[in-house]
Amino acid sequence: MEEKLISIKNNAISLILETKSVKELEEIRIQFLGRNGEVTHLVKNLPKIAKEERPKIGSLVNEVKNIIEDAIKTKESTLKETKSHTYPTLDVTEPGIRTPLGHLHLVTQAIREITDIFSQIGFSRVRYPEIEWDMYAFGALNFPENHPARDDWETFFIKQHADSKRGPVVLTPHTSSGQVREMEKGKLPIKMLNIAKCYRRQSDVSHTPMFHQFEGLVVGEKVAISDLKGTLNYFVKSYFGENRVSRIRPYHFQFTEPSFEVDISCGVCLGKGCRLCKEGWLELGGAGMVHPNVLKAGKVDPEKYTGFAFGWGVERVLMMKDGIKIDDLRILYGNDLDFLKQF
Amino acid sequence: MNIKILDSWLREYLKTSATPKKIAEKLSLTSVSVERIEKYKNDVVYDIEITTNRPDLMSVVGLAQEAATILPQSGVDATFAKSKLKLPDVHPSKSPELHIKFDSKLVNRICAVIMEVRIKESPQYVKDRLEASGIRSLNNVIDITNYVMREIGHPTHVFDYDRLLHHTLNIRESKKGEKIRTLDDKEYTLTGGDIIADNGKGEIIDLISIMGTANSVVTNSTKRILFFIDNVDPHRLRKTSMELGIRTEAVILNEKGLNPEYATDALARGIELFVSLADGKIISDIIDLYPHQPKETTIILSEEKINTIVGIAIPLSKSKQILTSLGFFVEQQENELAVTIPAHKQGADMQIPEDLIEEIARVYGYINIPDTLPMFTEQSYFHLGTNEFYWEDRIKDALKYSGYTEVYTYPMVSETLYEGPIDTAVTIQNPLTDDMVYMRGTLIPSLLQVVKENQDHETIHIFEVANVYEKNGKELPNQILKLGGVVHKQHASFLEVKGVIEGLFIDLEIKNVNFKQLSDRYGALLSIDKKELGTIEILDKTTITFELDFQLLREHATLKKLFTPVGKYPAIVEDLAIIASAHVPTGDLMEEIKKQSKLIREVTLLDKYQETRTFHIIYQSQDKNLSDKEIGEIREKILKVLNDKFNARLKV
Repeated sequence: MEEKLISIKNNAISLILETKSVKELEEIRIQFLGRNGEVTHLVKNLPKIAKEERPKIGSLVNEVKNIIEDAIKTKESTLKETKSHTYPTLDVTEPGIRTPLGHLHLVTQAIREITDIFSQIGFSRVRYPEIEWDMYAFGALNFPENHPARDDWETFFIKQHADSKRGPVVLTPHTSSGQVREMEKGKLPIKMLNIAKCYRRQSDVSHTPMFHQFEGLVVGEKVAISDLKGTLNYFVKSYFGENRVSRIRPYHFQFTEPSFEVDISCGVCLGKGCRLCKEGWLELGGAGMVHPNVLKAGKVDPEKYTGFAFGWGVERVLMMKDGIKIDDLRILYGNDLDFLKQF
Repeated sequence: MNIKILDSWLREYLKTSATPKKIAEKLSLTSVSVERIEKYKNDVVYDIEITTNRPDLMSVVGLAQEAATILPQSGVDATFAKSKLKLPDVHPSKSPELHIKFDSKLVNRICAVIMEVRIKESPQYVKDRLEASGIRSLNNVIDITNYVMREIGHPTHVFDYDRLLHHTLNIRESKKGEKIRTLDDKEYTLTGGDIIADNGKGEIIDLISIMGTANSVVTNSTKRILFFIDNVDPHRLRKTSMELGIRTEAVILNEKGLNPEYATDALARGIELFVSLADGKIISDIIDLYPHQPKETTIILSEEKINTIVGIAIPLSKSKQILTSLGFFVEQQENELAVTIPAHKQGADMQIPEDLIEEIARVYGYINIPDTLPMFTEQSYFHLGTNEFYWEDRIKDALKYSGYTEVYTYPMVSETLYEGPIDTAVTIQNPLTDDMVYMRGTLIPSLLQVVKENQDHETIHIFEVANVYEKNGKELPNQILKLGGVVHKQHASFLEVKGVIEGLFIDLEIKNVNFKQLSDRYGALLSIDKKELGTIEILDKTTITFELDFQLLREHATLKKLFTPVGKYPAIVEDLAIIASAHVPTGDLMEEIKKQSKLIREVTLLDKYQETRTFHIIYQSQDKNLSDKEIGEIREKILKVLNDKFNARLKV
């Protein structure tokens, strides 16, 4: 009997809670408390119960009846309130009040993405001087004394007496000046990513006197051309998309041997050849196996260790990304706020 | 450099069924980049970029030989079809007078011969081939010099023999101030150290390897020529050429350091063409002065080294076959190759085993090498909390979300934008323009320049993270990373800027920042533990700037979290309105209040009106409920100390 009462109560409460309308609620009231309702039926049957049990069961029946009545009353007022409630007019299309939001420079955004991509495969970012000794910028990188890059018309020199060992002071023309600095730390293997400002004496639609490069350097046992190829392809697919591929071609740099030019398949024709590319390919930048003279300059034994390096323009990869067709690179550093606030 | 050559010219020396497109593709992937193939009349012209390490490919013959080697590697038929050129065996009974003197420090080789010629137009095929190469056709004699240069790869020159009045060429270094008039009738003053030829009496009659002079070159009435091939010190050539701004095809080739062996073929081919196209007749002995002849060298190459660098196993026999096809002499010795580089293949880029490995790998095909990732068993450790790039990102993000837009300005500035005494500036010796001469010592002037250039914007909030520079005696200039910013609007508020910077400190968990009024300028000096962090400066009603030391920010920024238990007992809050002179800094009042009891959890400024400042004080204990009596005692202490120190009192 007791169990039956509890089950009736639970059943009634759950039905009441689920009810969505006053009409349904009335039906529930009739089902339980009406003349032929389940609770009423029990009350009618009370006399059939053993005399000594009667008071206990009787009060229990009353209790259940009261609980159900209360629940119905509460639900009824909630339903009526909801029905009569009206909201003030709200124009949800009106522009929101925004917290002030600035913008990061496109170059910063590119640097972050590049850093994230390379850190996934274990490269650590470093920073080395922007104003640097000729020794790190050229000498240790196997540039002969009279190489054109060391001319006054390609590299910026600082007015300062040349050091007897380290030579004159220059604005780094490439991030490769970090290579020997990294090796000098004396810790192998190396998996370095050097992203920095570089400077060259040129200014036109595709050159700015200041630009950014990202340089990868890997030195360790048995580092091979295949590792370089894999790393470059990993970057190309991560940064430009998985439908793009890279290839390497012979090229020439002082500080690598062999040296390569790296191409990626054109994003427009995907390698078939179109007006925008060279027979299906776009030049990305240089790379190569670290020249033994550079390893020696960094006190790394070239008989025991090998390495590869690549150094590409941040602006260049940025320009080659979908959607950014900037026809004059100088706009990046023109600081027109209307331009900067687009990104 | 780029050179252009016609397909028909190439095929004079290259016999293959490959299409121009196929030839271009194979050359690009294994040796030099063919950037474009274009139609030219009924022919096709290749536009080829040749890197400085391949002067052997800066010619029709060089490219034909290269293509004949690489095409068969991928199964395409190709042969090199050049018959060996021979010098005519002529010994005229009486040679015209000629004296060649030279400084052997300057000269590697000189070849020369005197010929009778008839000046006329070149045949059409010569004109086409030159024009497709971007060289203007002038007359048969001049055209032959250019034709030989493009075909064989070594520049050549002709003098009018009868205009060499003293029959003497004296090759020496120029002296400073000497003047020349080039064949295009322009006058130049030399700075000294240039390689020139004079006529034995001091008059300059040639700017060797760069350009002829007006007083010695052939004219339409020339009858006898001195055909002249000179191979000299390339570094001096480049210097002269860049200084004078004369960039002829000849000097662009010569400055690469051409192998003097090429002069042999250039001489023979030139004579052959003068005979066939200019009714040429040799009237002198052939002169060949050769003080610096390249020597054969041998490099030992191990199989292990090849495989380590390439990343896959290439059979030694394959490597041997590739090198042999490229013209090296190769002997196999167990697991090594002894590779001899003949004199005519000597160049800057054939000196170490790696140079030869490049030859093997590129002909083997870079495309046939698999992609792998470098795998090391060791990896250096990474600590986010001390990583400067992590903090740089955090700082930039904090500013971005405070409404600031990031700019990148040039660190080289003009004298006007340089702040401070100009003689202390890190200065560029060879600036590109007058407004990029000095390396800046502060970011602010550049940022103000950006504001100036964006006057159409009503409100401007910008920032930059970049280096500033200062001289450091004989060492590299100091390169100090700074965070700089400018706010520009109708009513710029110091507290608003300060608020953003305080927000940054909270975000980075930097504590103990002290703000003090600047003594010499209008604004605040910020410091942490007595170290100067930077300034906030009010320039005028509309403009406020700030510049902070990035390194110091980074050192004090932390990821370390300190846990204090959340109080179990309720906090008690009260507001105290304090009357004090406006000269008393609010920060001092707050600090003094806070010091009075450990039970004061927090003091904030609620309101400021005339001389009254209302402070919101939160009291809380970790161990008990605070009674009114306890709070009352602390309040008394606060009021007493404020009165003693600042003559301040409670507003009633």
